[in-house]
Amino acid sequence: MKRNGAQIVVEQLCVHGVDTVFGYPGGSVLPLYDELYKNAHRVHHIITAHEQGATHAADGYARVSGKTGVVIATSGPGATNLVTGIANAYLDSVPLVAITGNVSVPLLGKDSFQEVDIVGMTQPIVKHNFVVRDVKALRDTLREAFHIANSGRRGPVLVDIPRSVQEDICEYEDAPPLEGETQPTAPFDTRQAVQAIRGCHRPYIYAGGGVLASGAEAELTALAERLSAPVGFSMMGLTAMPHHHSLNLGMCGMHGRYAASVAQSECDVMLALGVRFSDRATGNVEAFGQGRVIIHVDIDLAEIDKNIPSHIAICGDVKAVLADLLRALPPMKGDAWLARVEELKQAELTPPVADFSPRNIMEAVSGFCREDAVVATDVGQHQMWTMQSYPFVKPRTLLTSGGLGAMGYGMGAAIGGCLADGKRRAVLITSDGSFGMNLTELATAVAQELPLLIVILNNGVLGMVRQWQTMFYGQRYSQTTLDRRTDFPALARAFGAAGYRAESLPQLADILGRLPAGGPAVIDCRIDRDERVLPMIPPGGSVQNIVRG
Amino acid sequence: MERFTVELIVANHYGVLNRITGLYARRGYNIESLYVNVTENPELSRMLIVSEGDGYIRTQMVRQLSKLYDVKRVILMATVKETIEK
Ligand SMILES: Cc1ncc(C[n+]2csc(CCOP(=O)(O)OP(=O)(O)O)c2C)c(N)n1
Ligand SMILES: [Mg+2]
Repeated sequence: MKRNGAQIVVEQLCVHGVDTVFGYPGGSVLPLYDELYKNAHRVHHIITAHEQGATHAADGYARVSGKTGVVIATSGPGATNLVTGIANAYLDSVPLVAITGNVSVPLLGKDSFQEVDIVGMTQPIVKHNFVVRDVKALRDTLREAFHIANSGRRGPVLVDIPRSVQEDICEYEDAPPLEGETQPTAPFDTRQAVQAIRGCHRPYIYAGGGVLASGAEAELTALAERLSAPVGFSMMGLTAMPHHHSLNLGMCGMHGRYAASVAQSECDVMLALGVRFSDRATGNVEAFGQGRVIIHVDIDLAEIDKNIPSHIAICGDVKAVLADLLRALPPMKGDAWLARVEELKQAELTPPVADFSPRNIMEAVSGFCREDAVVATDVGQHQMWTMQSYPFVKPRTLLTSGGLGAMGYGMGAAIGGCLADGKRRAVLITSDGSFGMNLTELATAVAQELPLLIVILNNGVLGMVRQWQTMFYGQRYSQTTLDRRTDFPALARAFGAAGYRAESLPQLADILGRLPAGGPAVIDCRIDRDERVLPMIPPGGSVQNIVRG
Repeated sequence: MERFTVELIVANHYGVLNRITGLYARRGYNIESLYVNVTENPELSRMLIVSEGDGYIRTQMVRQLSKLYDVKRVILMATVKETIEK
């Protein structure tokens, strides 16, 4: 049958099981949007307030569902507005297909109206990208794009489709999604790792996003229990094990938990699973590796020995490697080690104080939400407090910008996370600075009637930067004291959402008790601006330098 | 630092050279010489890239290059330690 390019795009979205896409129309995607109009019953399109919000929404949708997120934008400014979202997905290995329109083929390369070289611009932040100059190549290009995005180490792929190609007609036949791996994976060998683990006394598992990407949560818990190994997490891996499991020590790294960081520094074998040893996670590289055997498991060979030299490397899918290890390793008892870990956990505890602190706010909010609620954050202190104290139970319930640390990520991500699974309850934990970056997406959340609770830990400052200025720049608070007069509750109401202000725990409890059932709500929580995120291992430092407060 | 040569088999279409030199540029590695020609199979090109680097750089470059979708094969010529077949 004959199809035009726009129809082929819609057919391929359906073939790939895409039920929801996020985007924003414009001149270069008019033919595509015309087809989306005609196929609204097959593909649900969510229009956001800004293309950046749309990319983050597609990213949030992908992180929650495990499916590939899809974002559509017009050429020029529409396309450039995607860049932050694409970089974010790249650094956190999120499967994303970005479809951009471009000017018609005869106008390409002439600095035409709204023409930018988006393929050139995004080259370093995608797994791959394509320009489709011939409609006959469109179907298979889209199949490749979906295949690349959601296989191996996941990531974003951009497909740039000139407007004339969307209009051109060719013979079209349906074809199924491509399967298998785009990157060859040599068989792996776990024997050396098994030997090292069997001979060790203080095993430690360091688990990252790769555990979630490969769906290895059950294997992770099983292995930790088998080896009596405590587990510390990178930010990306945090939800892979329920917080209340006795071996779960929480996040490690610059703002990691005390027990997680100290136990990591005392282990004799570190089994690192699906992590890339980012500088924020390792601190001083020499100290990190000293005195222990590091076994690094990752699907991406280029990550092995990139940031931390490993003693034993296994390049493979985490789930498959763990299954192999579980077959080979007998139960191990480590009473002394577990006692030490328990001691560290006790040392972490601080007596409860009923103040309006981030920790207590987090507790009230998590008490209000069910275990499967999606929790999104922005970037700053509020993000780290969430990592340190939100009691995550279910995998894939955390949406946070890890590698890029992009303020403004949370609003879009929360919307996508909500929509990934039939309007699931979502919470965005943010602060005044970050919320200011993409709060226009409140309009989207209201239009979609999303059960989204936005908690602003409003300290009136760019808290995280201020904290560094406090600690390392002699309290010279250059441009970090916002103290804006924005009335967030009133602003929320202007958008059509509910809006509240809380200045104490009882007030917050009262508001949570009477939130409207549907639709977004904003709670502006006024907190102390001098609250710091601790513990902190200063940049380039090790656990010896940990500041506990 | 040692001079090393990488041989690449890549898809023969526009933009590929950019993707490859971009990887070198981003890491601040200078390319000393570069040679490209089409192979017997017109869909593929062969490239030879000479640059300088220690063992870490060589290994990283081979692995990063092999991740590029348009790169079909990477051979590290100087020491032929690591070959990645696709
Ligand atoms: C887009 C972007 N711009 C700048 C930064 C640098 N930055 C990191 S944290 C931070 C402060 C965030 O302030 P806020 O959102 O109010 O969070 P708080 O630290 O107060 O909880 C800034 C400016 C960033 N991460 N992202
Ligand atoms: Mg703030």
